Amino acid sequence: MEILQLIVNGIMSGTILAVPAIGLTVIFAVLRFTNFALASHMTIGAYAGLIANATFGLPVIPSLIVAFVGAGLVGWLSDEFVLKPLRASGFITTAIGSIALTIGLENIVRFIFGNQMRGYDLPIRRDWRFSGLHISPQQVESLVIAIVVMGLLFVFLSMTRTGKAMRAVADNPMLAAIKGINADRIAGIVSFVGMGLAGVGGMLIGLDTTIDPLVGFKTVLSIFAAAVVGGFGSIPGAVVGALVIGIGEELSLLVLSPAYRTAVGFIAILLVLTLRPRGLLGARAY
Amino acid sequence: MTRVTRRKILKGAAAAAAGVALPVRAYAAGEAVKVGILTPLTGAGGADGPRMLKAMQAVFDEVNKAGGVDGRMFQTVVEDDQTNPEAAVRAARKLIEVDKVPIIMGTWASSVTTAVLPVCWESKTFMMTVSGADSISLLPHQGYLVRTQPTSKLQSIAHASYIASTGKMKIGVIGIQAPFAQSTKEHLDATIKAAGGSVVSHVIYEKDKSTYRSEIDQVMKANPDNLYLNGYAPDTVVVLRDLYKAGIELPKFCQSYAVPQSTLDANPPEVSEGVVTGSPSADVDSTAYKLAADRLGMREIDAYVAQATDWASLAVLTFAKSKEATGSAFKDNVRKVSQGDGVKVYSAIEGLKAISEGKEINYEGASGPCDFNEIGDIAKCRFRFTQVRNGKLEFLKIV
Repeated sequence: MEILQLIVNGIMSGTILAVPAIGLTVIFAVLRFTNFALASHMTIGAYAGLIANATFGLPVIPSLIVAFVGAGLVGWLSDEFVLKPLRASGFITTAIGSIALTIGLENIVRFIFGNQMRGYDLPIRRDWRFSGLHISPQQVESLVIAIVVMGLLFVFLSMTRTGKAMRAVADNPMLAAIKGINADRIAGIVSFVGMGLAGVGGMLIGLDTTIDPLVGFKTVLSIFAAAVVGGFGSIPGAVVGALVIGIGEELSLLVLSPAYRTAVGFIAILLVLTLRPRGLLGARAY
Repeated sequence: MTRVTRRKILKGAAAAAAGVALPVRAYAAGEAVKVGILTPLTGAGGADGPRMLKAMQAVFDEVNKAGGVDGRMFQTVVEDDQTNPEAAVRAARKLIEVDKVPIIMGTWASSVTTAVLPVCWESKTFMMTVSGADSISLLPHQGYLVRTQPTSKLQSIAHASYIASTGKMKIGVIGIQAPFAQSTKEHLDATIKAAGGSVVSHVIYEKDKSTYRSEIDQVMKANPDNLYLNGYAPDTVVVLRDLYKAGIELPKFCQSYAVPQSTLDANPPEVSEGVVTGSPSADVDSTAYKLAADRLGMREIDAYVAQATDWASLAVLTFAKSKEATGSAFKDNVRKVSQGDGVKVYSAIEGLKAISEGKEINYEGASGPCDFNEIGDIAKCRFRFTQVRNGKLEFLKIV
């Protein structure tokens, strides 16, 4: 029963990790660099959602849309004006630039909102209990929201012209350019969508806990691990990777002290890079 | 033609050396005494650091307005330790190597102090802190440390005694990975065992997690009848939420720094209702306490503000005693003003007056007597207990 409870907890946390992990992997698939600014965009999304929910009294779903649009816009602007000029210098320079960017953005959030923890204006509900298990209604809602968001993204990528163009650039940028796909426009859309997903992930984490300017930074290692384990650049891989990390972190409690939970992420990265460098599902973008 | 002899060269060199040295000495007489303040303005200690900073600066401002010490003013150099050992060490190195401060005060988290202290003793920089882990003063700091905070041992004994007085004897401890984690559990266990109980489960968790549901399940396996939450504010707020969601209604005890008003405000009131907090108490009946509260324009001050007031006052008085702004001078002279048979003084200004009159002094602080043993710890302390009611902390008692 204990194992079952840990697996349930792992599925819950893994599904929420999957949303920003998809954002990270989509950006990598198209722009070919690891955008560490994901952490600050999670924070920005969480705070955008907080303004919508706590200040303007909007319910969860509209607040999540605000989180998506807010983080997406900042993601598009920061890519356009900060990261795009760095891309010519190579992916390492751009990735390092994204670290500087995330520290800068995080401190802007800190300057505007202060350091104190904040909670969404939502009632906290007691867990549902059945068959010796307990599960939080908020986590179930977040799980459903995360699945719907992933479904919408799948529809966007597989059924819309822009989504197909994104996949084309991810698969073969040169061929996509020959076919007349505007890589700059696609880069902007990818940054908007990827960072928007990060913002949704930041708010989903905050819904179950509280938020502060470090809300993104605290979880970015697990998200990075999820993307690597699943296969950097693969969207289904990000989902599988997030579930592996989420469930793995929980199951590790059977043999490890909780104080070493984060080690699971590192060990997973090491194992995957050693045994299957392409990740569990390879590196296809869809 | 003038002959250049060896004697002339030596005379010239001596004159030049004297010419260089004299202005330095004249400059040094009026040079400000730099004081490094390394305190958490962000991170888990971000709720306490700014208040401590304000208290320290208020003391130095008061002394500077009164003319300083022999015309030398105190200049604070402030760095944010971010409640992060790595950032704190970088900031401490900057304070020591760039700003050349002889003294650093204000660290809060035990992990931060544990990281910064070796940098201090290696560079002969004196340190004052509010961190409580037993292990800190056992490090080979060569005397470059005093702390006004009671050790984890003193705190745990007081907390376990309180819990025993409520009749609850099976403590479940769930707390953050920190230097005080293990020793707190051991002292809680030893004290509650003397009353007929025990610590029945102990789980140490990692910081910065978005949920602690599984850790709570683990600690509840042993069926404790009360819970001791041994974390910092950012994680305690999550633990309290998860406990509420899981429907666990056991009595809960926390360190007061884990439940600042911001923690209470971040959750609906029902989540934290009934939580008891314990903290070292400021010496609320003392003259120094009243002077500190007046200086800050407040009706009452908490233990951290009181301790910060005492560090700044002790720094001023130690410098006045030794007339030397070096870490070694602070180390060698702090106990000459903090304890002993001298006339009791309750503020830096009062102490400066007594020193100028040639008297020996014994500073009695806003946090307590400030009498330090050979490893820099205080020997005793009063403790204050509060309880959360309707989202606010209400005073219970001081013991």
